Amino acid sequence: MEPNLTSLRQAFGRTLTELAKTHKDIYVVNADLKSSLYLTDFAKKYPRRFIECGVAEANAAAVAAGLAKTGKVVFLTSFACFSPAINWAVIKQSVCLNDANVKIIGSHAGLMSADLGATHQMLEDVALMRSLPNMEVFAPLDSSECQQMVKVLVRSHHPAYLRLVRPPSPQYSSSLPFTIGKSVVLQKGKDITVCGYGPILTQAFSLKKFSLEIINCSSLKPLDPKTILRSLKKTKRLLVIEDHQRNGGLGEALAHLLLSSGLKVKFRHLSVRDTFGQSAADYRQLWNYYGLGPAHLLEAARALMSQKL
Amino acid sequence: MLFSAQKYPELVRLSYELRLDLLNLIHDAGGGHIGGSLSSLDLIIAVYFGGLLKNNHFILSAGHLCPALYVVLAHAGFFPKNKLSTYAQLGSPLQGHVSLDTPGVEYASGALGQGLSFACGLAVGDRDRTTVCLTSDGEHQEGQVWEAAMFASKYHLGNLINLVDHNKYQIDGSIQDIMPLDDLAAKYLRFGWTVTVVDGHDFRQIATALEKAADSTYPNCIIANTIFGKGVRAFQYDYHYHDIKVMDESLYQRTAAELESVINRLNPDYGT
Repeated sequence: MEPNLTSLRQAFGRTLTELAKTHKDIYVVNADLKSSLYLTDFAKKYPRRFIECGVAEANAAAVAAGLAKTGKVVFLTSFACFSPAINWAVIKQSVCLNDANVKIIGSHAGLMSADLGATHQMLEDVALMRSLPNMEVFAPLDSSECQQMVKVLVRSHHPAYLRLVRPPSPQYSSSLPFTIGKSVVLQKGKDITVCGYGPILTQAFSLKKFSLEIINCSSLKPLDPKTILRSLKKTKRLLVIEDHQRNGGLGEALAHLLLSSGLKVKFRHLSVRDTFGQSAADYRQLWNYYGLGPAHLLEAARALMSQKL
Repeated sequence: MLFSAQKYPELVRLSYELRLDLLNLIHDAGGGHIGGSLSSLDLIIAVYFGGLLKNNHFILSAGHLCPALYVVLAHAGFFPKNKLSTYAQLGSPLQGHVSLDTPGVEYASGALGQGLSFACGLAVGDRDRTTVCLTSDGEHQEGQVWEAAMFASKYHLGNLINLVDHNKYQIDGSIQDIMPLDDLAAKYLRFGWTVTVVDGHDFRQIATALEKAADSTYPNCIIANTIFGKGVRAFQYDYHYHDIKVMDESLYQRTAAELESVINRLNPDYGT
């Protein structure tokens, strides 16, 4: 049965607009993508708190930082391929070094922006944002978690990055909880621990051949080593899947965690392998093409199960 | 006026005393950015001691000019003067490029071109106060500065002042050779700003321009024509003194003596 599909960016825009009713300090600094981020309503209702910078992401990031320093909670909104890609050095200095309360919303991340091609398929955003001191990194699994994240972000006082995707994606739950630095075990299992973030992780639910323990690593920074290591002590097998470059993504972060912990674990990592994306009619074609589809999950799980512990 | 005419000679004398502090800071640290610090010092003095800064924002966009800011902040009492010798040393609040660890500093900078945007953000969020941003002329080669210029114009940031230290040099040579800015005043005018051109070492002119700019409908650009390395003959107009790697002892003795003699001449008791 096809799961119910909902939109992460719609959940973002609507939740933020709703919260802005009571939180008068919420501001949006936008780079000409308000309709894509479902912020048309916000701009109409709160024109004074909607700052439009045009196609100028570097300026937008520092404007957001300055505005945040006057006590506002500022949401900097664009596509991930522009913000935090074009304006990374501005985010490093003006946002992170200055500890400005700016929430960077990068939509259209990953291969999921299928037809747009390599320039718009942002596959390096998690690496860019994880590397910055003072920056927290989050990627919601579904729209219910996205809603929770926006609520949490409004209350937090530090820079954060929120990774969103373009197309509607499977709705896992109607009320997925979210806490900064916490991972939730979505499905209990004993054979393999599957870690991932964003809609691509939901593919793992259809893999019934093995007993999978599926962990939603939506809090990419800070991670939740406790939950992840607890599961790995039991399964001793880790399968990581991400719609992102291998370099600097979740897989590398978890490999570091494992080596540091001393735990002996078998490891497989499905990610984009140091290459650019391309256009396709549907993102599932791209996931299959780049080795991130259901068949690849099954193959990786088989390989893990065939290895002696 | 921001400060009375009687105060004007005092500020000139102070500017040379702080130039000597600046030279000592660079000498003690073993090196640092001196050329632009000497050219921008009078602008920072005018902002801090001209009365404008009370309750207003000051953003140093060109973070490498921090030696000038440090000597001014020390003189203003933000930290003791003996801290100046820790400039760019391990663990010092006086970093090689300005950081939030420095008492009295609102914005950490170093990568050029970002400060004016940050100042725009402050000006939007804090309409009741004036935000003064000090930029360098070379910094205007960064495209982001012009993104900010468009932005300030669109949002009618009359409470924003961009004070440009126009010393005509950058790290590798003259601006004219590296990447000409041509008529900077005309560019800002075209971007919808109010523009005033002043002598960046004339406190009366700087003060008048700041005072007028603080009460404006449009964003304000004050282009201050300054002398690179101002006040030290050996450094003036020589881009090799963008920063000093090692301060030669004889050069230090010579330049310190030069500044001391100016300070003595500016002493009201001189010749009596």
